[in-house]
Amino acid sequence: MRNSTAAEAEPRPRAAGYAPIRDYAAIGDGRAVAMVARDGAIDWLCLPDLDSSSVFGALLDAEQGGSFELCPSVPYRVERRYRPGTNVLETTFHAQGGVVRVVDAMTTAGPGLAPFRELARRVEGIAGDVSLRWRVEPRFGYAQATTRIGRRLGIPVATAGARAVAVQCWNADESATDRLSIGGSVDVRAGESALIALSASDQEPLVFSSREQVEARMDATGRAWEEWSAARDHDGPWGDAVIRSALALKLLVHAPSGAVAAASTTSLPEDIGGERNWDYRFSWVRDSAFTVGAFLGLGYAEDARAYFWWLMHASQLTKPRLRVLYRLDGGANARERTLPLNGYRASRPVRIGNAAAMQLQLDTYGELLQTAWLYATSGHRIDADIARRLAQMADFVCRIWRHPDAGIWEVRSQPRHFTQSKMMCWVALDRAGDLARRGLIPDRHAPRWAREAQTIQDFVETRCFSQVKRSYVRHPDSDELDASLLLGVLFSYGDPRSERWAGTIQAVRRELGNGPFVHRYTGEDGVEGSEGAFLTCSFWLVEALARSGRVEDAVELMDQLVGLGNDVGLYSEEIEPATGAFLGNLPQGLSHLALISAALAVAETRAA
Amino acid sequence: MSIWGAIAGGFAGTLVLTTALRAANELNLTRMDLPFLLGTAFTDDRTRAKALGYVLHFLVGLAFALIYYAIFVAIGHSGWWLGAIFGLAHGLFSGTALVDTLLPLVHPRMGTRSTAAPSVALLEPPGFLMLNYGAQTPLVSLAAHIGYGTLVGGFISLAT
Repeated sequence: MRNSTAAEAEPRPRAAGYAPIRDYAAIGDGRAVAMVARDGAIDWLCLPDLDSSSVFGALLDAEQGGSFELCPSVPYRVERRYRPGTNVLETTFHAQGGVVRVVDAMTTAGPGLAPFRELARRVEGIAGDVSLRWRVEPRFGYAQATTRIGRRLGIPVATAGARAVAVQCWNADESATDRLSIGGSVDVRAGESALIALSASDQEPLVFSSREQVEARMDATGRAWEEWSAARDHDGPWGDAVIRSALALKLLVHAPSGAVAAASTTSLPEDIGGERNWDYRFSWVRDSAFTVGAFLGLGYAEDARAYFWWLMHASQLTKPRLRVLYRLDGGANARERTLPLNGYRASRPVRIGNAAAMQLQLDTYGELLQTAWLYATSGHRIDADIARRLAQMADFVCRIWRHPDAGIWEVRSQPRHFTQSKMMCWVALDRAGDLARRGLIPDRHAPRWAREAQTIQDFVETRCFSQVKRSYVRHPDSDELDASLLLGVLFSYGDPRSERWAGTIQAVRRELGNGPFVHRYTGEDGVEGSEGAFLTCSFWLVEALARSGRVEDAVELMDQLVGLGNDVGLYSEEIEPATGAFLGNLPQGLSHLALISAALAVAETRAA
Repeated sequence: MSIWGAIAGGFAGTLVLTTALRAANELNLTRMDLPFLLGTAFTDDRTRAKALGYVLHFLVGLAFALIYYAIFVAIGHSGWWLGAIFGLAHGLFSGTALVDTLLPLVHPRMGTRSTAAPSVALLEPPGFLMLNYGAQTPLVSLAAHIGYGTLVGGFISLAT
């Protein structure tokens, strides 16, 4: 499994208390996600859901954020992997005197009265005798709430308002508990094991479990993940990377609603020390077509349906307009504010909420209608209400496509006429027309949709193509480039094998590329600082190459990209080309979606 | 007071309640759709779910009208104003215990706060006071239920 394990190595030193972003693996239960560093520390966990406030927030403030540390008390080397087909993490520490493995899981199922949320860490002695130290330092409410530590039935408990966590341990010492933290040591020999479980509650009493119950839930959780991943319907050359991406994506699915978060973290910087720090714990309409495409392409029809139902339900309140993003509970309000935290390696501000929610991004209409088209043409039924709304949305696109917008990259400078936005408006009207021809949505206004689509195409072809660059450009009458234009190939704007698309793909590689890496755009975006290469754009380039007939180039690039994930196969939003350091939020759903989409596209093109 | 008044009031009240909620949907005030929530408990076909849900909602409306009637008989008083108070209590009960807590537990396609991976819900849970379905939802729901209660109370007191 190329990305499921990594050679043992000494953990990279923390910089002022911060581990490299690349060092984090994610575990979760479909509601919450914990980020585990290579040195065994859990530095990020929001409870009860991934968009709730943090209880462990050292990722964004090493001093006061709170964490759950567990590592050998002597120098060690470390190797990690996910158990195959699961989101259960194994971290193996090779220390002086022995080898010990820590198995981390957020439990999802199993016997007994289960806690509201449960994080379990099993320490397994593999060889020799190893001593570990552990410390749980909960800091509720992004470390802004007052956390109190006390005891219930002798079990250490941390509370803040209606939220609480209990820490139970077996075969482990808990002598280092004090007013601020719960901790102790673990000594294991080969064949022995210890267990530390964190039981969390919100607005209800804590649940205390027996060791057998926690162990059984850990085992059941592993089996549940294995069953889910075994159901996939894909076995291409990058199968391991695809299934790891699917599992990473599944971590971002909010099981209670079907929404898919863009990432599990907030404010991991695109520019270390800079202000490009955003909260991605929302569901972006931008990602919808890739999400449904990935689920359908891999054979997860139930997940695709749940997501589509959620998307149509969430967007009902703002119809026919779309918000750029919605909360995981379907709400449209995502007010942005900053927290008084130090930020990852002093990258401030730390933001929660996202002001992009209120932007106009015309591309979202294309993505939603493409999503509906994918859903309907794969045999799923669209009911009369949704059909009517989709037709109303197409009417709305006819009215607003001439407006400037913030574009897919959510620039915070003045709205402009972004070429990619116009192309996606064309996609919206084209897909609406096709759905109408199939009798799936009302066709009363189909002639108007066709006329407006032609007008949009005329605008793009006459104003948004540079004869100098031989490429479509970022906005009319400019020479700036934008990698999101590649989405035109992916969503069938024009003939993918046309000269114009060949020129655009070449221009993107030439001017935005750097080896396998691709930057998003040239030109300004209204935010200070620079950023790394955008991993999603690299995968879009693979797909564009494949769909334009350059399959061997696509395969070559894809081979390079699947090696760029971290030691457990996760991708962040961006990467620093010179060092390979991860930047931005992790795991980034769109990076993994683009990887899946590229792999499926190459397989499809080869099969054709 | 007459049981026929309760049945007539239940029918009229449910008609008004359903129409008010549907109108609120169209006005983008709420995403709450009670017939849809009820119908999807029995089928995942969205169109059939809505049709079935309307029938079920009317039956539930009649059942609640009979409960109102039983309480009126027990306390020896009825009237539109008393019905309005019952409607307010009924709306609060619906938004807190009935739809927020009980419905997700018995609804096979609705998520709860405990739904975990790899399962995935087809319907998002309503949340406290059904706030997940929009910030205006509690007001819309309470107004509609007060209207329902007023009609049921009025019909029962008028029928002899």
